[in-house]
Amino acid sequence: MNARNVALIAKKELRGLSAEKTIIFAILLQVFIAMFSSFLMVGLTAMYDPEALESYSTITYGVGYAGSDSPLIEEFEKRDDLILHRMDLPAALAALRERKVSAVIYVPDTPPDAEEPITVTLYLIQNDLQSGVINVKIKEVLQGYERELREIRAERMTAFPVPLNFPEPRGGENFFEFVYGLLIPLLVFLPAIVSAALIIDLITEEYQRRTLETLMSTPVTFTEMIWGKIVACEVLVPVQAGAWLLLLGLNGIRVDNAAAILLHVAVGGLFLILLGALVGLHYRERTSAQFIFSTALVVVFLFVMAAPYNPLNLIVRLAVDTAGPVHWLILALVAGATAFLGWVMTIYAWRVEKTTPMA
Amino acid sequence: MHMLSSIRTIAVWEMKRSMTTMGRNVLPLAAGLLILLVLVTTFAAQSGVHMQDGIYCIGVDDLDTARIILPDTRFTVYIDDGSALWTDRFSYDIIVLQGEVYAADTDKGRAALKTLERSYQGYVSRIAAEEPDLFAAYPLWIDLEYVKSEIDFLATQGGQQVGAPADAQEPPVPSGPVEAVTLPPSAMPVSEDDLREHLTGSGGDHPLSRYTGLTPGDSVADRFRTPAELSTPLPFDAIVLVFVFIFPLYFTSQFYMMSIMNERVGRAGEALLATPVSPVAIVVGKALPYFAVMLLISAAITFAIGAPLSILLPLIPVILFFLANALIIGMASRSFKELSFVSIFFSTIATSYLFFPTIFANTHVISIISPLTLIVLDIQGDGFTAAQYVYSTTLFFATALILFYGGIMNFREERLFSEKTLLSRLIDFISAGIRRDHPYLSLFLLSAFTIPFVFMVQMMALVLFFNIPMPLSLVLLVVSAAFVEEFAKSIGLYAVAQTRPAFLTPKTLLIGAVAIGFGFLIGEKLLLFATLAQITESIFGNALFLSSLQVLWMPLLLHIAGVLITGGFLLVLGRRAYGPGLIAATVVHSLYNLYFLAGALL
Repeated sequence: MNARNVALIAKKELRGLSAEKTIIFAILLQVFIAMFSSFLMVGLTAMYDPEALESYSTITYGVGYAGSDSPLIEEFEKRDDLILHRMDLPAALAALRERKVSAVIYVPDTPPDAEEPITVTLYLIQNDLQSGVINVKIKEVLQGYERELREIRAERMTAFPVPLNFPEPRGGENFFEFVYGLLIPLLVFLPAIVSAALIIDLITEEYQRRTLETLMSTPVTFTEMIWGKIVACEVLVPVQAGAWLLLLGLNGIRVDNAAAILLHVAVGGLFLILLGALVGLHYRERTSAQFIFSTALVVVFLFVMAAPYNPLNLIVRLAVDTAGPVHWLILALVAGATAFLGWVMTIYAWRVEKTTPMA
Repeated sequence: MHMLSSIRTIAVWEMKRSMTTMGRNVLPLAAGLLILLVLVTTFAAQSGVHMQDGIYCIGVDDLDTARIILPDTRFTVYIDDGSALWTDRFSYDIIVLQGEVYAADTDKGRAALKTLERSYQGYVSRIAAEEPDLFAAYPLWIDLEYVKSEIDFLATQGGQQVGAPADAQEPPVPSGPVEAVTLPPSAMPVSEDDLREHLTGSGGDHPLSRYTGLTPGDSVADRFRTPAELSTPLPFDAIVLVFVFIFPLYFTSQFYMMSIMNERVGRAGEALLATPVSPVAIVVGKALPYFAVMLLISAAITFAIGAPLSILLPLIPVILFFLANALIIGMASRSFKELSFVSIFFSTIATSYLFFPTIFANTHVISIISPLTLIVLDIQGDGFTAAQYVYSTTLFFATALILFYGGIMNFREERLFSEKTLLSRLIDFISAGIRRDHPYLSLFLLSAFTIPFVFMVQMMALVLFFNIPMPLSLVLLVVSAAFVEEFAKSIGLYAVAQTRPAFLTPKTLLIGAVAIGFGFLIGEKLLLFATLAQITESIFGNALFLSSLQVLWMPLLLHIAGVLITGGFLLVLGRRAYGPGLIAATVVHSLYNLYFLAGALL
């Protein structure tokens, strides 16, 4: 195999990519996925994280209270953002339907120290964003009441949990786990998946457009041509992943061990690209190859994510600097598997070269 | 009759062809991969997802505390004596000394603290759930009931507050009729064992369990929650189901896309085009088998999960939409790489358009813009009304039909086999719709046809910006809406300028702008009245479709002015000035909208 021929093919493919501007679509796609997942996360947190929601709303809400007296009333009086109105249940529900109160609570006459539980009924407006806010506020009130009831019934308990005292929350960071535990591995591995899909297109296109004969009439051998394409796809992986890390850094998200992360991505990416190349060589037709490859990709990723110390997890650990030297071992293992796949690929390409008469 | 028989011929032929190319080679391997997939899924379900393992570092001084933390794989736990931990405290995210938790004052330390608090709460609940006297540990149970309010969407988004004003000390009096209600029973209708099971069932260590555990279930025990479990339910199960439906549809539409593309590779379809079969028959006939397969797959999934068959109804427009896009992408891409990237890009956007609103399925009416929300609602047992069906599917039906129409119009030799770039091919497609004998009528129709697409993009923007705090979200929405509208209005002119530069003169520009403005306005009004009444009447609707606030001639003038600005740039400075022209038109359009929006708000 001649390295110069491989480089020649790689250059030709890269030039083709930039001429068609397809790479722009690939990058746009990644930007969109990143933006989309961030929006998703911010939206979800805003909606489901109590602390995030509370700062969102400074309005006072009216709450209808029906049923018998209980210490719950005092819990409500501690809040200055909820105003309790004593009402009949039917009138309160009618007011709720007209949005004159934001929630209605009905308390039965069960005494606090009774055998059975106290079953409170909470009425909220369906399909309403503000119900979410009120839900959070009332939840805090009810949790206060629950603590009080637990103290009253404490002598009936048998087991006690190991006590832990937590410091007062200092607020702030909600997105740490999302950014480091999901966004970063997703972003650095996307280029690898994109490149693996690309190699299939590059190989099957030569077959389906019947451009192989022209290529084979040059001194480049078939195996060199395939490796040239693989190199072209592989080069894109660390470059794009590196650009992502740089962008994250510019956004104030510090990623540790960037070089090691890029190494992991480059090796993992090469594995996927070789897998794609094998599938492409076997089918020589895009529809079947892409179908099989994307199914295989799902299998591979599910398997990898379920294994402890998988490369994705190592990228997370590297990014937050808790990896330890064990990641070199995993890297060596993945590199070994990749080298084996590369060897299989070369043999396969070599056999194709021998068996199919070219030009 | 002739048309029907030729469609049938093409469909049968397409089916045979794909069977022979796919069947022998792909099916065995696909079946093998499917078995592997099942095996791997079982493995993943047992082993769990190990993405965030060891992200935090925690040091504890006693074994009992370590035992609490160990099940949470996000922590790497180190046990050491207290003084050693204290000296090394900066190398840990959290240290626990004699039950006191100290966290590093960094983002990571705070995140670790939050995670530890959550898993500690889970541990406390597990202990409490094992109490012999459950009602001592969980003395308070809440029965959550939802009440339907008729004015919900308009009221919340119009800025009207829920509930009484802050200083009201008197209880509010309902103005409408008061219906009699039966008081809820004071005794717990569910047995202690069922409640215990419910508690342990919802306290998994999966990071999403705090959402999934709260999904309204069928059993009575799930109706009652402890205060800690009170949260807005995220229909997570239903969302997973949505993906189960969408991916097979996307896959199958890929086969259609490739079938179209294969006709173009090496001019393979030349023979087909030479036959007397019309392009309509070819396009429809080729799509028919895939449509049937997609419908069958959906029906099979529906049957497998035991959902009502009525969820197929909202899937039909989605299937058509996927097929129509597959047709256009298959016709327009130059190479396989381009096909891949464009189709992945498109599918990501389409999936997020479908998926994102469903998050709000139980909380906000805005979710109805995605047909998948109807599926979520239907699976939850709430069902959907005919009006909701019309709201959420009209855009999909309309865009699919227009795309199919455009594809069929361009399904000709000189378009299919040209070697131009993607963009100029698309421009060719558009300019094919502008007829030389009736250019103004064509521009009028073209701009009316862009309306469903414009609405779709604007809806997407609405959903994305919905999360951002109020004044900023409105401004972003106004600017992006203006940009999308100006872009849609000017593509016809741009296509003409590209293919027939001599056409553009001051006079034709003026008449063309009027035609486009009219077309846009009429298309907008028709679709608005037909479908989106719910959203248009909210404040966000005002931002998007501002024109409903004023008499019709003002928006008409605005639309014409916008086209004139972009067209003027094109006319005077040439095609390179299209971008700046578009920006100028967007600025004018946004300022106009913001001015009137501010007026409407005050």
